[in-house]
Amino acid sequence: MAINFDTPVVVNREQRLGTIIAWDGSASELSDLSEYSRKSCGGSCGENKRKLCEATGPFTQGSCCSEQMVECQAGQVRDAVLIQHSPIGCAASQVGNSLIYRVGMAMTGKPVENLRWISTNLKEQDMVFGGVERLEQSIRDAWERQHPKVIFIATSCATGIIGDDVDGAAGKMEAELGIPVIPLHCEGFKSKHWSTGFDAAQHGIIRQIVRKNPKKQEDLVNVIKLWGSDVFTPMFAQLDLRVNYVVDLASVDDLAQMSEAAATVGFCHTLSSYLASGLEQEFGVPEIKAPQPYGFAGTDAWLRELARVTNRVEKAEAYIAREHARVKPRLAELRKLLKGKKGYVSTGSAYAHGLISVLKELGVEVDGSLVFHHDPVYDSGDPRQDSLAHLVDTYGDIPSFSVSNRQQYQFYGLLQRVKPDFILIRHPGLAPLASRLGIPAAPLGDEHIALGYQGIINLGETILEILSRRKFHQKLAGHVRMPYKKSWLEQDPYSLSN
Amino acid sequence: MRINLDTPVVESREQRLGTIIAWDGKASELSKQSEYARKSCASGCGEKGRRLCEMKGPFTQGSVCSEQMVECQAGHIRDAVLIQHSPIGCGAGQVIYNSIYRNGLAMRNLPVENLRLISTNLKEQDMVFGGVDKLEQSIRDAWERHHPKAIFIATSCATGIIGDDVDGSARKMEGELGIPVIPLHCEGFMSKHWSTGFDATQHGIMRQIVRKNPTKQEDLVNVINLWGTDVFTPMFKELNLRVNFVVDLATVEDLAQMSEAAATVGFCHTLSSYLAAGLEQEFGVPEIKAPQPYGFPGTDAWLRELAKVTHREELAEAYIAREHLRVAPRIAELRVLLKGKKGFVSTGSAYAHGIIAVLRELGVEVDGSLVFHHDPIYDSQDPRQDTLAHLVDNYGDVPSFSVSNRQQYQFYGLLQRVKPDFIIIRHNGLAPLASRLGIPAAPLGDEHHALGYQGIINLGETILEILSHKKFHEDLAAHVTLPYKKWWLDQGDPFLLVKGD
Amino acid sequence: MQGAETVVTEGRTFPPLGPKTNSIQQVRYVCAIGAMHSASAIPWVIPITHCGPGCAEKQFGSLAMCNGFQGGGYGGGAVVPSTNISESEVVFGGENRLRELIRASLKILDAELFVVVTGCIPDLVGDDAGAVVREFQAEGVPVVLAETGGFKGTNFTGHELVTRAIIDQYVGEYAGGRTPGVVNVWSMLPYHNTFWQGDLSEIKRVLEGGGLKVNILFGHESEGVSEWKRIPQAQFNLVLSPWLGLRTAQHLEGKYGQPFLHLPIIPIGADETSSFLRKVVAFAGIDPSLAEEFIKKEERTYYHYLEGFGEFYSEYFWGMPAKFVVVGESAYNLALTRFLINDLGLMPGGQFITENPPEEYREAISREFRTIADDVVTHVAFEEDSYRIHTLIRQSDFGQKPPIILGTTWERDLAKEMRSAVVEVGFPASYEMVLSRTNVGYRGAIALLEKIYTTVVSGTA
Ligand code: SF4
Ligand code: SF4
Repeated sequence: MAINFDTPVVVNREQRLGTIIAWDGSASELSDLSEYSRKSCGGSCGENKRKLCEATGPFTQGSCCSEQMVECQAGQVRDAVLIQHSPIGCAASQVGNSLIYRVGMAMTGKPVENLRWISTNLKEQDMVFGGVERLEQSIRDAWERQHPKVIFIATSCATGIIGDDVDGAAGKMEAELGIPVIPLHCEGFKSKHWSTGFDAAQHGIIRQIVRKNPKKQEDLVNVIKLWGSDVFTPMFAQLDLRVNYVVDLASVDDLAQMSEAAATVGFCHTLSSYLASGLEQEFGVPEIKAPQPYGFAGTDAWLRELARVTNRVEKAEAYIAREHARVKPRLAELRKLLKGKKGYVSTGSAYAHGLISVLKELGVEVDGSLVFHHDPVYDSGDPRQDSLAHLVDTYGDIPSFSVSNRQQYQFYGLLQRVKPDFILIRHPGLAPLASRLGIPAAPLGDEHIALGYQGIINLGETILEILSRRKFHQKLAGHVRMPYKKSWLEQDPYSLSN
Repeated sequence: MRINLDTPVVESREQRLGTIIAWDGKASELSKQSEYARKSCASGCGEKGRRLCEMKGPFTQGSVCSEQMVECQAGHIRDAVLIQHSPIGCGAGQVIYNSIYRNGLAMRNLPVENLRLISTNLKEQDMVFGGVDKLEQSIRDAWERHHPKAIFIATSCATGIIGDDVDGSARKMEGELGIPVIPLHCEGFMSKHWSTGFDATQHGIMRQIVRKNPTKQEDLVNVINLWGTDVFTPMFKELNLRVNFVVDLATVEDLAQMSEAAATVGFCHTLSSYLAAGLEQEFGVPEIKAPQPYGFPGTDAWLRELAKVTHREELAEAYIAREHLRVAPRIAELRVLLKGKKGFVSTGSAYAHGIIAVLRELGVEVDGSLVFHHDPIYDSQDPRQDTLAHLVDNYGDVPSFSVSNRQQYQFYGLLQRVKPDFIIIRHNGLAPLASRLGIPAAPLGDEHHALGYQGIINLGETILEILSHKKFHEDLAAHVTLPYKKWWLDQGDPFLLVKGD
Repeated sequence: MQGAETVVTEGRTFPPLGPKTNSIQQVRYVCAIGAMHSASAIPWVIPITHCGPGCAEKQFGSLAMCNGFQGGGYGGGAVVPSTNISESEVVFGGENRLRELIRASLKILDAELFVVVTGCIPDLVGDDAGAVVREFQAEGVPVVLAETGGFKGTNFTGHELVTRAIIDQYVGEYAGGRTPGVVNVWSMLPYHNTFWQGDLSEIKRVLEGGGLKVNILFGHESEGVSEWKRIPQAQFNLVLSPWLGLRTAQHLEGKYGQPFLHLPIIPIGADETSSFLRKVVAFAGIDPSLAEEFIKKEERTYYHYLEGFGEFYSEYFWGMPAKFVVVGESAYNLALTRFLINDLGLMPGGQFITENPPEEYREAISREFRTIADDVVTHVAFEEDSYRIHTLIRQSDFGQKPPIILGTTWERDLAKEMRSAVVEVGFPASYEMVLSRTNVGYRGAIALLEKIYTTVVSGTA
């Protein structure tokens, strides 16, 4: 299904990919059921045949919205400004994002600064009379204050409901200021999963920033990432390739030149799916169609595909051989140190598939995982990107594999099923519960930590570190009270769902 | 009287200058009595005719020693190491002078680092068998750890008493290492006033670091300072002169080239007296013989003398005129704001003379001052450097002018005499008492703060700032008990227990 | 282990450095006369120093000012009475000068007790300060003498000399009975331990919470000399430190037949503090129910805050140091190391004991470190020269992230160089303002977490 860049509004994930946010079973089963998206439906959902069965229930806890993902993408472009067209509440996350932005800048050796967002700060009367004037005023303020290369506009639930003509205002202001003014439609209520927000930001970037008449740069590779440390530059140097990091912490010019690259890769299909496919579809920049670069099998295949597309096969083979030899000794030690340990992964969907591979390389048992959503297929529709199938085929099944958009009330029961020694997380909300059960968590703030060959070692070392913190959590566990009723904690975590 | 650089031991201030540490009277009177140093004795001390009357009493509080001044001079040279040849207790100063050193480096935009002082850490048996072996070991450690350009040795009371041959081992190690190894004799008990420690350091520097065959640099001026912000570079630029800051935060090379300079100046005669006079005597580098650069007359005269010596009269006159014009409006405002305010100055001797001048420029009343010592004369023996006479002649008398080496027990009574709104200090020990009486203090950590024309404005602004702290101190005053007996506090005369000798 | 040459952490051996020499660069303790601060630490007690003109100022400036900016207290500070010895006292002796100064101090200063401390000079020239002080004692003047000549020891041993002087020369003989449930506390070194005031308050609070009556003896929560007078009436002495105070307690045992309880670990955190209180209560033989109730209440509060911290601790995105190094005197070093290992699950990366404890206590101190946890290997190095300590830390391999350094101002440059964080927890802490802050007990542990992780987080960007 071709991506439609003609309209300013992105099609949400559930429509494009059949994304679900609740499911419970084994990884192999979910993988089988997802095959419908490439082949025929294996499920038996009656008239919903071509969709995955999704569990729904009466109790839900706070999740995360698409607007937040726009913040953490468009809001972290270095020479742009993001206008939050919303009441002040949506702007609450300026605080947390600024922290992320500052740390990210520090991690990547750039000058640390506060981020530049502006809330239009809508009030009651604006809900009645509309907020377009305020939006235009804020856009002008953004221009006068910072002279950015681009201004993004994030819509919000409120402006979506009152029907402000954000596209119109953006068009008008773009003409007035002579820079791209890009509306990103990301009302929280429009998609059940926040990852639609990634797509919304990437949609706007492809429409209004990426250069339409690219001059090819045959050694440039787009790397879609967040704030992670720079592990790609040294790796790509071995293949004579240069890195173009997008979207977070990039400059507008970095975004514009994406169409000139020789290929696009990422650390996680959940994040990169839309942008990578869009670049291929619109500008012929090939997306690397391979498993993600985690564990030996994944990293080998990923490097080989990249090498094939960029015509660097020999260099890649030499590099792969060198790296295998380099990491083996420490890996052997780590395996010994981690023998018998049980891990649990609860992160975004495709990223979890990758992390579980790495844990298995380390000899850690992974009997359970909770992913925040599941995409039965990615935008490319290419089976080589089926990260879940890659996991199951290469490393075996995960008996307790649950989809749950960060529902903590289910997490207790999920942990009881497998009783892990530690958990890996990326989003907030679950680790505190684990902590109260005496289980330490490794929050992988640096998303590149587990990537590639060195990532196997890194993750192993990190696990050793957090295992030593178990003492803290175990002490805490003896002194806290859970907010959940005993009768609930004894139930199966999906017993309320149907 | 010539400075004698032939022996490694410096002569103490009391021997060279007739320095005293206790006296009470009027500034004009002290100035007059000090005239003996240049002319005949006006005082009536009988057979001690050529000395100032000094008071002495049974009660004394902790003071400061010469070794500390060595730490804060030789210990703050950036590419040298200072060995403290002493038991570990004298090494306590490392903590204090490290804090100062780090702040100073930051103020001067130099990379902040810990200072390099090494204690020889003498123990009981060393007191019996001598500590020379340990001294040599520490000198070797200093060399291996830092490869410094010079190694200084500070003696201490203990090593002075046991009679370690510090000069001998310094010579031996200098031969072994091929860098200057410089003994600085600064036993705390050897001088009643700590400023002898300045002289001890400067003595060693002149003997063993300053270049003996200088190539003159006609636009270079030695500025003897501590850690203060760099106010000299922009000022000297107006006169086409370059600054050579010494001793604190200087490099050994900066010290070596002092003999090549066209002149030497300082912010305070107490600190610069020995070095400036020595450089003139030994290397013909003229010391600027003028009042200190505080207030209009002082700064004018100082700049003119510097200009004369360096042949830059026209540049100086233009600069003086520009500056007068520039600072006049704000000074006029500050005078209005400070009208009726009373200040009290308690700092080192010559520095106090300068600060009082600035306060009077600001229209602040100064009826009292406590200086930590008094030098009747400086090493140059030149009347143009008579800072106290300059103060009295230009700004009038200071009725309560006391010399007291930081004796807090006298400070209460001194403050009662004049009831100031604020005090200006540079050493610790007095401000805490003032604070407990509800009086705020401005500690002038940056010694250049009040210097020159801009310094008048700076000090005025600072006083406004600290006056607003008064609330804090008054609140505190209402809730603390002083450690002094009521009997003592009720005595009108803080010098009751001391008598002339 | 032989602390001096090798440091072993987690089975790794740091490369040996040249042999130790006498040199001390960047001091971590001062001389015995520094214990003038132990006198200043008792309400309304004033030291009289018989020494050179700079000694008192230096001890004060470094121990009390450039170490948490604590201030000099009542009658203390840079301007305590001092003979400011000059050449003539060196040549002719300083006894007359001392006599004169004591006499004048009685006139001018309002103190309940004077403690004369001597520096290097009188001890070297052979002044009989004892004879001078005895003259005053014979007149009934509250004054005692501690001979603290700088070359004779450290401010730690000086502290015990001052303590002993007050007990023997001022508190004196006692033949009466002992009051059950009353305890004398001998713990951290006043002023040198930057946090001593807040720490002693917390220890007192905890012990009182368990139903004990506490003579805390130092700090503003002590009643002063009247409390000292009551030392012999207490049921027992509590020595809460690896070694400091042991000699005092042994002396009191001999003098008054008073038993003592030695607990080497200053408690930090709920587990340690609750078990500390239970031990003391058991030793006192008083009804434990009060203590249990107190513990319950305290732990509720403690774990409330710890739960909040737990969310950060399990979720903070940007990683945190997994290892830590402590550079400090044995009491705090042991207490902090235990807390960080047992309560936070951090891994020790080097524990440097810096106060030069007397030889006879070193093995016991090392043993305390060895037995912190069965799954963690910790060895200690006794080092006093910062140059050596910093070299040893530089030569260590800390894995993925540099360690948190719990140390002093001397470690600031090193931390910058290693891109790690330093938390100044001991002498000298010249970049900390410390008034009532504490790091021990229930409340101090929470404050310590706040401090450590504020430092870590603000270091990220
Ligand atoms: S109002 Fe809508 S856009 Fe704003 S924070 Fe809430 S869910 Fe997100
Ligand atoms: S012993 Fe002497 S040199 Fe050392 S601090 Fe005291 S007075 Fe100064």
